[in-house]
Amino acid sequence: MYRYTPFDRQFVRERARQFRDQLERNARGELSDDELRPLRLQNGWYVQRHAPMLRIAVPYGELSSRQLRMLARIAREYDRVDQGPHAGRGGVGHFTTRQNLQFNWIELARAADVMDLLAEVDMHGIQTSGNCIRNITSDALAGIAPDEIVDPRPYAELLRQWSTLHPEFAFLPRKFKIAITGAREDRAAIAWHDIGLRLLKDDAGEVGFEVLVGGGMGRTPVIASRASAFVPWRQILVYLEAIVRVYNRYGRRDNAYKARLKILVRAEGPRFFDAVNAEFDQILARDVDGDAQLITEAELERVAAHFTDPSGVRPARGGFEPARHLGAQPGFARWLERNVHGHRVSGYRAVTLSLKRAAQAPGDASAEQMEAAATLADRYSLGEIRVTHDQNLLLPWVREADLYAVWQAARAAGFATPNIGLLTDLIACPGGDYCALANARSIPVAAAIAERFADLDELHDLGDIDLHLSGCINSCGHHHSGHIGILGVDKDGQEWYQLTLGGSDGSALAGAATPGKVIGPAFAADEVPDVIEALIDTYRRARSPGELFVDTARRLGVAPFRAAADAVRQTTARPLAVAEEAEA
Amino acid sequence: MKFIDPQHDRWQVAAADDGAQPAAHLLLTPAQWQAARAQAEPAAAPAAAPIGLLLPNDFDVETLAADLPRFALIALQFPKWTDGRAYSQARLLRSRLRFAGELRATGEVLVDMLPLLQRTGFDAVQLRPDQSLDSAQRALRFFAGHYQGDAVEPRPHFRRAAPAAARLPS
Repeated sequence: MYRYTPFDRQFVRERARQFRDQLERNARGELSDDELRPLRLQNGWYVQRHAPMLRIAVPYGELSSRQLRMLARIAREYDRVDQGPHAGRGGVGHFTTRQNLQFNWIELARAADVMDLLAEVDMHGIQTSGNCIRNITSDALAGIAPDEIVDPRPYAELLRQWSTLHPEFAFLPRKFKIAITGAREDRAAIAWHDIGLRLLKDDAGEVGFEVLVGGGMGRTPVIASRASAFVPWRQILVYLEAIVRVYNRYGRRDNAYKARLKILVRAEGPRFFDAVNAEFDQILARDVDGDAQLITEAELERVAAHFTDPSGVRPARGGFEPARHLGAQPGFARWLERNVHGHRVSGYRAVTLSLKRAAQAPGDASAEQMEAAATLADRYSLGEIRVTHDQNLLLPWVREADLYAVWQAARAAGFATPNIGLLTDLIACPGGDYCALANARSIPVAAAIAERFADLDELHDLGDIDLHLSGCINSCGHHHSGHIGILGVDKDGQEWYQLTLGGSDGSALAGAATPGKVIGPAFAADEVPDVIEALIDTYRRARSPGELFVDTARRLGVAPFRAAADAVRQTTARPLAVAEEAEA
Repeated sequence: MKFIDPQHDRWQVAAADDGAQPAAHLLLTPAQWQAARAQAEPAAAPAAAPIGLLLPNDFDVETLAADLPRFALIALQFPKWTDGRAYSQARLLRSRLRFAGELRATGEVLVDMLPLLQRTGFDAVQLRPDQSLDSAQRALRFFAGHYQGDAVEPRPHFRRAAPAAARLPS
């Protein structure tokens, strides 16, 4: 893991002091609420439906057990409501698709104190919101994946440093998201980002980046296009600077819905890429010390040294005999199959702690659960833990010999639902229960689906299915990329849900990244579980042996699924004008 | 960083018909400057009279490259403080075009923009009238150093041998 240098540590403390000053000026009336807003957003503070929301950065998803314990402490001591209509709420963190953590009940008056506590464990909320370069996401298996070509973490850290308080790019036309992977399999959905980076090696063994540009979800889902097939690693910061500068200068600012990079790339086409390449050349050819941004060998080595295998790692062979436990504990086999992943180092596995379980919102963890996860990380994973893009936690350094013990401990802590990759491992935003932007609630819909598909035999029989649920078109729940996508829409003050079919995040399982296709007018909330079941039944009847849901959906097209979904309509059974209009 | 007091500022925005004969301390629009340059004989250009430009934030500063030494001041604009285009203009003027005159931030300039303004190459600001000078000066002192290079210190942190504390802003 990256360990902060004195410079990094000082920097985060300086940022906390700066934010405290801004909050104090706001309290004194020197800084208006409207003008504080972009400043607090760039420190991770939203104002939501009931209370402020704090989004804490987890750079490329890596956490130490010490950091997780501090997050648990903040959950317990600060994320709580003592009085008023919401008394008793709080104490829960929500892990997001961008590998961050959100709290929903901390008072803004205590914001500066929380930032100081975070700084104690080298954490912050810098650039987790606002129209700037956001926290950079990566593969949750970075550094340990068997299919990895280049460990992306040193580069992700270099990018974190480059993007942090970049003075020219703090007020871009709109938010700006970068994802980076170094594996053959794309576990970071890079084509859905403003910039997607894929590390690779050329024929000479030189490390570089394939650079994708202009992807994004929201109202206009766009898959990123390739800006360069190979940018040598030394030049990557210059190349990124060129992209973001062209965006800052020419991105639209007249309409927030058309301000993302994807719109500029689509409008300009080849001219955009020409402009980026010209800007890249100009930086190196003409700028004062333009080549100072080239990453040096020494700097890469310095940063990469933070990501060598932890000192406790002892490769082992032949120590793992799952059969010994399988007879006694049938549930163990299922957990091994779904929640345990291959590892680069022999004798080790990665283990997903499922945050998708009954009676809790997807991605949520209470203070006690965060502490339990930290204890698991200390005991079985060399103190390291990861946040995954699909809102689970992951132990990256589990010895095969410990798997049975980890399963038991994970079960005791409520993390062992063997559903990773299955229908109930669904992605969902917090939705209308918390979010001021949402048009509809996500959590009750997610709960109803989880309840309907509680049978593990059935879930395993259905196999891999990505179900993604967003409470509004901002797409925090990534509905566009779900094999089944659910989008909450609002019409006349009521909640409706539009379904899509056949989307892909770009993983090998689901094929090239693509948005799903809408299946008919929106449904009422109480219809959604029936509709999901109708889609699943259609798949079950039509699938050929071994065929995944997403493949059947693509083979058959939308029509039979739409017919099955329409057949279970109740509230929207008659051609209600409102339902038809809700069809975007 | 120079804080402009509008009461004692020698610079004035040129009136619509001032362009033809630019007087000292007039801020011209790009169009006025083009008109003045087209009329004046090169040798007769009043080189001694300091003139300035007031640029909209979507203006391509590259087109000025040849003329830059002629300007004592370039004023860039923030029509809204959250519109960040002028930061890129400033960075290009300093780092690429080597503009050495005064680079002034005008428009909706707020205290909390100061660190960004300084680092992208501005050396003068005209704060929005309600802004506190004390707070603006304090805003420049929070950070001892930054990660990436900028117009003032082109080297990123990883190329600077000296510890960050050596670069405390005054």
